[in-house]
Amino acid sequence: MPVEPKVTQIGEKLRLLRVRTQNTKTTCISVILMMPLLKNTAENTVLASFLAHASAKYPTLSRLNERLEELYGAILSADVSKLGEGYRLRFSLTCIRDDLALAGEERLSVEALRLLLELLFSPHAENGAFDKTQLETEVRLCVEDIESELNDKRAYALSRCLEIMCADEPFGVSKTELLEAVRAVTPESMFNAWQQLLREATVSVQVIGNVDFEPLEEMLREKLASQEGDRAPAEIQTVFVEAAEDVTEVTEEMDVNQSKLVLGFRTGMRDCDDDYFATRLMTDLFGGGPYSRLFMHVREKLSLCYYCSARLDRYKGLLMVQSGIERKNKDAAFNEIQKQLQVMQNGEFTDEEFAASKAALCDAFRGIDDTPEGLDAYYAMSPDGAVRTPEDMVKGLAAVTREDVVRAAKRLTLDTVYLLAGKEEAVNA
Amino acid sequence: MPDIREVKSERLKESYFEIDHPSGLKILVYPKANYAATYAVFGTRYGSIDTEFRLRGEENFTCVPEGIAHFLEHKLFESEDLDAFERYAKTGASANAYTSFDKTCYLFSCTGKFQESLEILLDFVTHPYFTEKTVQKEQGIIGQEIQMCRDEAGWEALFSLLRAMYKTHPVRIDIAGTVESIAEITPELLYKCYETFYNFSNMVLCVAGNVTPDEVLSVADRLLKAQKPLQIERKFHREPREVAESYTEETLSVAFPIFSLGFKEAVATPERSLREILISDLILEAIAGKTSAFYSELLEAGLINTSFEKEYFCGYGYAAWIFTGESPDGREVQKRITERILELQKTGISEADFERIRKKLYGRSIMTFNDIDGIANSMVSAYFCGEGLFDEPEILQSLTLDEVNARLRSALQTDCASLSVIKPEGE
Repeated sequence: MPVEPKVTQIGEKLRLLRVRTQNTKTTCISVILMMPLLKNTAENTVLASFLAHASAKYPTLSRLNERLEELYGAILSADVSKLGEGYRLRFSLTCIRDDLALAGEERLSVEALRLLLELLFSPHAENGAFDKTQLETEVRLCVEDIESELNDKRAYALSRCLEIMCADEPFGVSKTELLEAVRAVTPESMFNAWQQLLREATVSVQVIGNVDFEPLEEMLREKLASQEGDRAPAEIQTVFVEAAEDVTEVTEEMDVNQSKLVLGFRTGMRDCDDDYFATRLMTDLFGGGPYSRLFMHVREKLSLCYYCSARLDRYKGLLMVQSGIERKNKDAAFNEIQKQLQVMQNGEFTDEEFAASKAALCDAFRGIDDTPEGLDAYYAMSPDGAVRTPEDMVKGLAAVTREDVVRAAKRLTLDTVYLLAGKEEAVNA
Repeated sequence: MPDIREVKSERLKESYFEIDHPSGLKILVYPKANYAATYAVFGTRYGSIDTEFRLRGEENFTCVPEGIAHFLEHKLFESEDLDAFERYAKTGASANAYTSFDKTCYLFSCTGKFQESLEILLDFVTHPYFTEKTVQKEQGIIGQEIQMCRDEAGWEALFSLLRAMYKTHPVRIDIAGTVESIAEITPELLYKCYETFYNFSNMVLCVAGNVTPDEVLSVADRLLKAQKPLQIERKFHREPREVAESYTEETLSVAFPIFSLGFKEAVATPERSLREILISDLILEAIAGKTSAFYSELLEAGLINTSFEKEYFCGYGYAAWIFTGESPDGREVQKRITERILELQKTGISEADFERIRKKLYGRSIMTFNDIDGIANSMVSAYFCGEGLFDEPEILQSLTLDEVNARLRSALQTDCASLSVIKPEGE
């Protein structure tokens, strides 16, 4: 059952969010830090894994992992992602509920939080520089991680399309440039970036589970309050391009069996809340579940592909359509996607389709409250601004009308058409 | 009245209900207090490896095209009028299905209208409808799915390894089959497979979440007609001890070379017990887990990166110890892992490592009881293996270091190894 989150501001752009879940087996603790995308981008990219792989007290990966195993296999994860033109670093620890420990009342959650704070605030560094040997390994791992996106052609095609589409915006920061900058980070630049991160980031700490919050909050307040004097949080602003001026078309060849077609649209949103519910529902009806126009027509009726779907990036106001097709079917698929968009804009979708989309979306949001992991991921998507519960989303979506959907569809403009094409001679076996 | 038995876990303070339904179907229901969502899976013990089978009393084995179990899964969603997705669209449930080596599962999750959705699930899975025309249409869609998988480096690497390790066992074939093999599929063959494997005696229905046994039974009683149980005989492929090839390589557009290293285990009986599987997981952690000095050594030597994984891979008639990752030098990784295993076989796993790893596996096992999808799918697997859902944490508690070291020495044979490498283009 949903329990309202309790949100406390414990400093400027420093928020503590806690949610009590019932009957769950884990406690999730996350620290989320948001920086402007272009500030220390390369350093921040490496920082997430650097901080999560060692610390002053646990200077090697083996030592740190031993500690995690002692905490009953607590799962530590760290990642970076773009949230509009903010760069989000997320550090999460999930451990089993205190009373499920074998030795009776072990305070696992307290120990887990202690470890998480140790990693963030006491890195493997000395004299104003990060450990050089560790950094060399981390840079290699980071470079290989970025480059291996190529192994996932669907993700690769999507990010190529986004790079091309947003080339003039910070969001379109290219992988090539990023890789070059990552290779150039130094122990000193990393140390400075870490200090700036603690000083300038918008921070949200999330504690979710069926757990005694008091000792956790006390530890957090003590640690974070001691930093507060130095803090000067940076403003994060995202450029929303309301409409595309013309269509950019790019085809790139690669030796692949299946070609990937990606269409990038501007949604007309001016910020992440602008007509959000209508745009979200429109995206789902257009290319969400199996009831959607793209699934029903491009896949089921024309049998052109295994997948054809639309997703909304509300933090940047973009709608992306992705499909895996045979190269020779590119025009057929493109035309059908455009035709289905017109159907959306003309309001020619059926009442049943509209109701199906609304029911499925609301259903998905309703289940989020069930687990700490679900809630943790959900709240991590909006580390600043107003806190909306999954139930608030359900209410917002339930109120959307057919007219709202048509209006949102009409605001779409096609910006970029990207094709990752299989080579002509590599005709399917 | 169906026979209902409650299975409790003192540790988790939870329980599930095991029901022998008069139709012949086993039903497992795991109520989760305070959850909004419910997740249901209707599974059959039928997967890509079931290419040769016969019923008791039949003289000959029936041979069917590769990929037919997966094809059948796609087609079952259709009926004469509305397909299952169109029906689910009215309830708001999110539905899907998957086919693995040894099972096919149909599932949905929802937060409301559970009984309506369950009715759809039970109805469409028990009412096949295959025609020439619908079979043909699916060949296009699945053809694209097969092409997509051939571009997925991790998937391709796994099957390249399985082909290298196995000479005869059908675990070596792709779950979706090939464009050629699925072209041989006909409505008649689909019906033959359906009537064999979609018999209730070979299936299970598992539900977890915001649900009671009565809610499930009131739908099941109405929809499920009694079936005569069938005795299916799967061909037990006598796989030779040796691997087919010790080394293979192929080229794909990937960023780095990808290696998959497998040590083939000689299996005298078709199936591994949960105890053997857990011991194997523990051994793999001891060999190359993230706490091992060995893992850090490989990482610092630049031989692996964070994509490194290990897995005990087993099913009906096959078992293997698999290591995968990205490496500039797969052969060197193989050499070092082999040395590491031989050394550990000599010294044995230490008491301290054993206890620490066991604690980790216990914690990870407990964590799986949050997710209703995880619970429902685990109930399916556990039932098909003849194990109980709550056995895992208890077995972990009862393991001894001696039996772990004994298995390390007997089951892991370093001379039965295959290495498969996927190279980037132009190398």
